[in-house]
Amino acid sequence: MQTIYFLYLITSLLSIVFYKKPLFAQKIGFGLATLISLYATIFFFSHLHETLVWQLPGNFISAPLFKLDSLGMFFSFLVSLIAFAVSLFSFDYARFYEKKANLAVFASLFNAFILSMLLVISSDNVFSFMLLWEVMTLISALLILINDGKGASKNVMIYLGIAQIGAFCLMIALLVMASFAGSFEFSKFAQMDISFSMSISLFILLLIGLGSKAGMFPFHVWLPLAYCQCPSNASALMSGVMIKVALFAFIKFSLFLPQSVQFGYILLFMGALSCVFGIIYALISNDYKASIAYSSCENVGIIFLGLGGAFYGLGTNSPAIALLGFIASLFHILNHAVFKSLLFMLSGNIFTATKTRDMDALGGLHKKMPITSIIFFITVLSICAIPPLNGFASEWTIYKTMVMGGINEGIASRFFFTLSIIALSITGAMAIMAFSKVYGSVFLGIARDAKSIEEAKEVSATRLLPLGLLASLCVGIGIFMNDVIKMISNIVLPLMPEATLSTHGFISMPIIILVMLSCGLIPFVLFYIFKANNKEARITDPWACGFIYNKNMQIGSNAFTGDIKKALSFLLRYESEVKIDGYFSKAVYTHKTHDLFWEKLYEPVIRYIMIGADKIGVFQNGRTNLYAGYILVYLCLILIFGYYYL
Amino acid sequence: MDFFYISLQLISAIIVAPLFDGIARKLRAKFQSRIGPSIFQTYYDIYKLLKRGRTKSHSTSYIYQISPYVLFISAAGMFCALPVTYGINSSVLSQFSDIFVLLYLGALFRFIFIVAGIDTSNPYAGVSASREGTVGFYTEEVAVICLIVVMMGAGSTNLPFITNLIQHGLYGYAVPSFSIAATAFLWVMYVETGRKPYDLAEAEQELQEGVLGEFCGKDFALIDIAILLKQFAVLGFFLVIFIPWRFENPILSLLVFLAEVGFLYVMAVFIDNFGPRFTINKGMKRTMLFALAISCTSLVLYIMGI
Repeated sequence: MQTIYFLYLITSLLSIVFYKKPLFAQKIGFGLATLISLYATIFFFSHLHETLVWQLPGNFISAPLFKLDSLGMFFSFLVSLIAFAVSLFSFDYARFYEKKANLAVFASLFNAFILSMLLVISSDNVFSFMLLWEVMTLISALLILINDGKGASKNVMIYLGIAQIGAFCLMIALLVMASFAGSFEFSKFAQMDISFSMSISLFILLLIGLGSKAGMFPFHVWLPLAYCQCPSNASALMSGVMIKVALFAFIKFSLFLPQSVQFGYILLFMGALSCVFGIIYALISNDYKASIAYSSCENVGIIFLGLGGAFYGLGTNSPAIALLGFIASLFHILNHAVFKSLLFMLSGNIFTATKTRDMDALGGLHKKMPITSIIFFITVLSICAIPPLNGFASEWTIYKTMVMGGINEGIASRFFFTLSIIALSITGAMAIMAFSKVYGSVFLGIARDAKSIEEAKEVSATRLLPLGLLASLCVGIGIFMNDVIKMISNIVLPLMPEATLSTHGFISMPIIILVMLSCGLIPFVLFYIFKANNKEARITDPWACGFIYNKNMQIGSNAFTGDIKKALSFLLRYESEVKIDGYFSKAVYTHKTHDLFWEKLYEPVIRYIMIGADKIGVFQNGRTNLYAGYILVYLCLILIFGYYYL
Repeated sequence: MDFFYISLQLISAIIVAPLFDGIARKLRAKFQSRIGPSIFQTYYDIYKLLKRGRTKSHSTSYIYQISPYVLFISAAGMFCALPVTYGINSSVLSQFSDIFVLLYLGALFRFIFIVAGIDTSNPYAGVSASREGTVGFYTEEVAVICLIVVMMGAGSTNLPFITNLIQHGLYGYAVPSFSIAATAFLWVMYVETGRKPYDLAEAEQELQEGVLGEFCGKDFALIDIAILLKQFAVLGFFLVIFIPWRFENPILSLLVFLAEVGFLYVMAVFIDNFGPRFTINKGMKRTMLFALAISCTSLVLYIMGI
């Protein structure tokens, strides 16, 4: 594994060396990244059940240990799998940013980003973990800045701000845990002897620290801003795998704590909130990339629901539920990585072709980009959990966990599990609407703004190949659902040796497909028997109740969600305004939706901090004498403090 | 053998469904003091549609082409997932017959319905596509709340298992939460059939057939069958959970089941003939709140362990 890390480092350095020849550097950077990631994917997959250890050689301040157990192997596999697809995609895609940034830097940062994620997963020590964690955050922030433009720095600052809140909580949690364990090595963390209140506060700190990075509600505000700003390949990596690294760390660290049922309840509750709010905002957004970004929040919520089941199982000593919960959440992590990175790359395809992110300007793109459109359709079906695709497979497993958990006696467990099933089903219903809207308004119908798709054409094969690969993974994982579950259970089983997986009552995807396909034959038989009229259809204008058809009569993405917005008006804030000046000029309709939590939760805090900062600013007045005075006062205070309390 | 029975189940439903639709239409006409069409009218309609030529809008893409087939597949899949002729003994098909498979096949139906509506770029189809999604948002949670009570009470999501449990009296109406859930579930399944006053996707007269406005000829015939099948499937979904009358002989169970579904379907005329028309927001909010309240009552009872 050190070879892989080393190769990424070399590629990263190599591409920055060719700073003067960005196009060449881009080819080298992304090309090599593709090869290395392919190797890494195979390597991690074939060593899935082994434990590998590597110590950083040389005369550094410390000699940190890097260790991969089977869980770490699984996540490393995930990172390199997605990295493979994304770097193959970037090989051509990155050229779109030629004028905005130096591609050599882009390629270099890209490789460094993959490397930092892999190292975060394998680091086995508090300090190296925190250091690499921050490096990962910084590199991703720089990747966002590749697409510099209006508001870019604000978006990056929001991202970094929330990342810092998270890192702060995470640091505290890890240091406290280290002091209880008496060591900074993670391998010595297990079996800490701490009180219940301590463990629950550590758990909440971990949840804030890592959940904020994972995009959990209410820390989701950075998701749409950062992902929309990012080049699509970087957002594919960030959403596809970076938030999974946070989830990995969350699973790893919270397993060190003494388990209790409350962990499960907290996770179920936060997961339910996260998925419902995530999908509501995904539904009402008019920007397809923001929609996809908000749906990350939703999917992280779903994963937290699975994890909640798992921790509930651990807390109540029911290994069957715990095992199924972990399997379900890892399964959904795998699936989400696949389809979310796919969606972001596809949105990159759409953006490079049309230069707009506004769904109300798009439409009819299928005719220009048929392959992109069909891959998008498959992906959207799998994110909506339609059988027999992979999204359904993992959501079904999560449902199964919830039902198993809710059977137990006890009002609290029943309450939380039923709550989460309801949340998951509402999410399912709204996901259908959200993604049919995205797909429909981008690819189907007639372009609302004909200019937007004028120059659109199908992207090159190097961009379509990785998309096709991931799309076939979507189908494949769905079909071989039970095998994937078995594979994941082998990864999870070392965590709880007493559990056994029983696949009794599991659905069988091949049978579902068989039944669906044979149902598909019936229409043809019917047409044959009754000798249906098979003549080619005449082409006409859409019917408009006798009026002359105009493409502006189509439903817009705003109107599409109008009814549901009214129904949910207690959760949303939106303003719509109609401007009409005179009979002959066009009416202008503007509509704005606000993120309620940004306005109610974050803006006041930011405002107070600004006011506070202004007040503190009085002290910084540029007079050296006063600064010396501050130092004197500080020294006196420290002396007094030391005299009395130490 | 199971595959034989499941195809028998599906094909017999396809054959019989138009008849019940015809009876319902006749009955409705009687209520409105009309003579009404013959009870075989739905067969004639479908046959005529099959023979008709087609037109399509120039904006349509492959979605328009495949949507009748996919709609049919999902509706037929939903119907096949009902353990009527199989599942008394252990069978391969019980790995298919699962509550969530049924629900998400319904989601596929809805998804394709919406996407096909947008694809035609017909203004009315777009509006009713949006309404279809909104209706789904309202009904899904009520249906799932009722199903939670059943699933958790029975301890499984597997439909044949649940049906057997209820049929043998090991779990069922003796449990208050179950019987309350039955009411709400019947209500929401009626909404899912999309008949008045919940035909909001078709909505007012001028919206005509709503999403289907642009479909014609054999496509439309197929969609008609698919919608009939879906209505049968959702009513059957209620029946297999809450009134499971099954016999050792699969043919007998099938006959009884079809009669039951047909009865429910025809009886629904009493609601749909006298039901008022609502606008989408008021209608859904006002009427679904009751269903939601009933289902929540049953859920609370379940959580309390009653």
